[in-house]
Amino acid sequence: MDLFDKLKELRQQGLDEIKKASDEKKLNEVRVELVGRKGELTKILHSMKEIAPEDRREVGQKVNELRDLFNTQLNEAKDSILAALVAKKMEEERIDVTLPGRKAHLGSKHPIYVILDDLEAYFIGMGYKVVQGPEIETDHYCFEMMNLPKDHPARDMQATFYIDDEDLLRTQTSGDQARVLEKHDFSKGPLKMVGPGKVYRRDDDDATHSHQFMQMEGLVVDKHVTMSDLKGTLEMIAKHMFGQDRKTRLRPSYFPFTEPSVEMDVSCFNCDGKGCPICKYTGWIEVLGAGMVHPNVLENAGIDSNVYGGFAFGLGLDRFAILKYGIDDIRDFYTNDVRFLEQFRKEED
Amino acid sequence: MLVSYNWLQDFLDLDVDPKDLAEKITRTGVEIASVDHPQEGLKKLVVGHVLDCDGVEGTHLHLTHVDVGEDEPLQIVCGAPNVAAGEDVIVALHGARIAGNEKIKKGKIRGMESYGMICGLQEIGFADSVVPEKYADGIFVFPEDADVKPGDDVYHALGMDDYILDFDITPNRADTLSMEGSAYEVGAIVDQKPKIEDVVLKEDGPDWTSELNAEVDEKLAPKYYLRKVSGVKISESPLWMQRRLWNAGIRPINNVVDVTNYVMLLTGQPMHAYDARTFKDGKLVVRKAEKGEKLTLLNDKEVELDPNDIIITDGKEPVMMAGVMGGKNSEVEDDTTDVILESAVFDGTLVRKAALRHANRTEASSRFEKGINWDNTQKALDMAALLLRNDANGTINEGEIKATDAQRKPAVVKTTISYINKVLGTELSNDEMVKIFDRLNFETEVDGDDLTVTVPNRRWDIAIPADLVEEVGRIYGYDNLKSTQPLVAETHGGYSEAETKMRRLKKIVEGQGMMEAISYSLTSPEKAVRYTMDPKATVQVQMPLNSSRSTMRENLMTGLVDAASYNMARKQNQLAFFEQGRVYDHDGGTFNEHEHLATLYAGNTFEDNWQHQTQKIDFYFVKGQLEDLFEAVGIDESKIEYKAAEIDGMHPTRTAAIYLDKEYIGMIGMIAHAVTMADKALRGSELYGYELDLDKLDAHIQKGMTAKPAPKFPAIERDLSILVNKDDSNRDVENVIRANAGKYLVNLKVIDVYAGSHIEPGKKSLAYNLTFLNEKDTLTDEVVNKAMDKVMAALKDDLNAKIR
Repeated sequence: MDLFDKLKELRQQGLDEIKKASDEKKLNEVRVELVGRKGELTKILHSMKEIAPEDRREVGQKVNELRDLFNTQLNEAKDSILAALVAKKMEEERIDVTLPGRKAHLGSKHPIYVILDDLEAYFIGMGYKVVQGPEIETDHYCFEMMNLPKDHPARDMQATFYIDDEDLLRTQTSGDQARVLEKHDFSKGPLKMVGPGKVYRRDDDDATHSHQFMQMEGLVVDKHVTMSDLKGTLEMIAKHMFGQDRKTRLRPSYFPFTEPSVEMDVSCFNCDGKGCPICKYTGWIEVLGAGMVHPNVLENAGIDSNVYGGFAFGLGLDRFAILKYGIDDIRDFYTNDVRFLEQFRKEED
Repeated sequence: MLVSYNWLQDFLDLDVDPKDLAEKITRTGVEIASVDHPQEGLKKLVVGHVLDCDGVEGTHLHLTHVDVGEDEPLQIVCGAPNVAAGEDVIVALHGARIAGNEKIKKGKIRGMESYGMICGLQEIGFADSVVPEKYADGIFVFPEDADVKPGDDVYHALGMDDYILDFDITPNRADTLSMEGSAYEVGAIVDQKPKIEDVVLKEDGPDWTSELNAEVDEKLAPKYYLRKVSGVKISESPLWMQRRLWNAGIRPINNVVDVTNYVMLLTGQPMHAYDARTFKDGKLVVRKAEKGEKLTLLNDKEVELDPNDIIITDGKEPVMMAGVMGGKNSEVEDDTTDVILESAVFDGTLVRKAALRHANRTEASSRFEKGINWDNTQKALDMAALLLRNDANGTINEGEIKATDAQRKPAVVKTTISYINKVLGTELSNDEMVKIFDRLNFETEVDGDDLTVTVPNRRWDIAIPADLVEEVGRIYGYDNLKSTQPLVAETHGGYSEAETKMRRLKKIVEGQGMMEAISYSLTSPEKAVRYTMDPKATVQVQMPLNSSRSTMRENLMTGLVDAASYNMARKQNQLAFFEQGRVYDHDGGTFNEHEHLATLYAGNTFEDNWQHQTQKIDFYFVKGQLEDLFEAVGIDESKIEYKAAEIDGMHPTRTAAIYLDKEYIGMIGMIAHAVTMADKALRGSELYGYELDLDKLDAHIQKGMTAKPAPKFPAIERDLSILVNKDDSNRDVENVIRANAGKYLVNLKVIDVYAGSHIEPGKKSLAYNLTFLNEKDTLTDEVVNKAMDKVMAALKDDLNAKIR
């Protein structure tokens, strides 16, 4: 058989073998056999000297062509074998993407702190400092300095946990006002503060009473602070907290540490003022107490009430949370039932 | 105070809808808690005249025929014991609605046709507490003076066509605890002058003032007036008075007691009527009680008097608790003929405390404690005498006894128009302001900007300029104030540095997947000091609500363990709580508050899942979380030391005290079996947590930083496996490694711990990974090898370790 026929035969045989090779290993054997260093094509090249010199060039050319062809075919075959392999593997790796994921713990903020953080951010933005006072307070700061001398009837409104004759668990955050007023240096600018914290009352716990709850106190004192400023400030808080479309009203009220004193109601968010069980058919829901700082409170702190004046307000954080989230039992805040608390993961603040 | 709209009409010409008036009063003066219209919801209730009434044999029933103003009388079967022929009664006709929206239909009772129902007052909506005793268990019978005829609606005669405004007063507005006071207030609001009439009295009996010697301590009763009315005939009060009383929530009793209550409602001055026989010895003394003295009150309560109670005596025995309630022994009874009327001002604080002490607050005591109008003592006394003459046929004896008669001058408050405007943020003119005070019936004097206001005694809550600001503000109307923002110099708002740091810690812990809890500061004495390394003197409250809320906590952990118990009792076992709050102690004689942070974990690192890939929470998981927290706030790990510690409530061999720079800052570990075994909900569960004292951590929390570039040179890592004695702790080994590895050691990790059957007894195998890095140059193997040699040599020398 002449060399050309042999090449022709090798070509056919090689292509068939490549086609037959079913996996990478077999394909590799074929590769060694055809184009390897000891393979058929090499053998032909090695036998060149037996070929007439005038044919050598053509044979060489044919051998190279055939090697290129084989290499191309081998690579293609390899690719398709690999592709099939990958396809098979991927099929084997198929998962049910509808099965649930593994869940770790997801943190949450307590609803009262959701409210508090929101209010603090709001007031800080308006230039208020956040101030913290002691929870174990003296009668002096909690009452006397706040214009509630001993035997004042308003003390009956606040059942107090006394520790001894002079020390008590604060019933209100107002004591923070007295402390801040005493320390504030008005030559360095006006006083604007909010003071949040825990307070305590000698009440038995039930759906609407808690012996411990949280309040926030606000105080602005300078030379020209008016009741109109108080009204504007309270309206902004109420709308920020309960919605821009809420209506508000101020009602005369009484607190020993403010004069005039007011309470603010917002139109009921449940019935929009028409009257329902939530607002006890009044259309209004009380949200906070406020007033112009009583001159005695200023004077008690050594501030000239003829020169300085301002407003103060106090609000119940528990009450805000109750109203905002429609909670019907204040004890829910303190039993720490995870099924209650976990809802507030969703709440923005 | 329940204020009758109809009664207000005696003083004012009101033509507003009572509900609108209530809203106006609420916005201007006193909150109106509700407006009640008693006849609302009722239908077809008419006056009936009982023509005949016969008992039905064998039953308690009566068969009656009742004239209800129609052609034919109605046959009605009635079970009330007091139904009788000749009575005018309340009849619910067929189709009527009575209280509770109940419908009345004709029907058969025991085979007898009944075309309606004869009603008692409760059945048409009266509260038990106001129904006269006589009608408590039967039907109501209109008295002769009722001026009703068969077929009339009953509402007007019974006062049910009225509107009752519930004045929910604040303590400073006790001036509205009377009809006259309310009329002044409402008059100011609607801009009308109330018609308040004086009493013109003609004494028609002999002088009685020598009959009684009254000794009164002026400090206890600065005003003390008495009158005598003789020859009274005790009976029912006229209907007009009864309906005013019951509409005000007061039960009519008899024509003497009712007069005292009526006068109190009218003037705000509490009154008392004694049977004159009480003072047959001619002596009356007002003094403080002595220890051991007893008095049985009108409500049959026997009280042991306190030395701070004011009492009235007959010279020997107490006969009344002043300002609170009369004594049974001086009560006006059916056979009473002569009555001593008392109109007095008692010390409000003492009255308040007595009422509180004996749990016996009354209409009178609540008025004295909030303050009464000193100008009404006389008027009330005269009015009561007058009414007794009119209603009880009494003779008013000549003369009064005024045992004490201190006077109170009206307050004169000086301020300026501009001050009031400045505080309110208004621009009211002098005239506008004067007009407001005129509406309040306050006299004013204006001199330029200066304003002098004379405040009548009925408004004893007003004493300083700020009080006038309130009066102007509310009458001008808070609705009319502008809404502005304070125009003050710019201030820089924000948190204190310490709070900023605490908030940062909270945020990180929340980011670690923890749920924020708030628990009670008050706990039991035992729990207050549990989980506490070095308990201090505790803070205890006087008169706790119960023993489990008596002591201020010295740790937060106890609240979280309570929370775990609450949740586990409800099958919620996957817990990751944190709380940031204060703990309290009484160390060194001062009350101290410290900010703490605590966490408590239970369950698994991942929720149970179908892949079963989760781990039980254990000490090291929680410690890892804590280490991450420390790292996140820049606390140098190498300054922290964990030392096995025994703390009450914590597992004794799985708990560490944590030291930072040798200072105790908190603890970490497992809740003791002793705690979990004792609680059914917690039994069998493992709870781990930590608690940190943030006040001590504060100084170590990094604030601000300077960035370093990422390392330019590669690090070299080496592993090291050693065999040490079982008692040697990881910390012992790490200390040796760190002390000898040289300055290029940047990280040291434990990668394996083994103490099992494959190694010799009493030993354990530890493996570490050491990372070396020179930030300024390429580190050579030679340098690292030297460091490792030194480490290994030291481990052999110091710990007798075998290098594996």
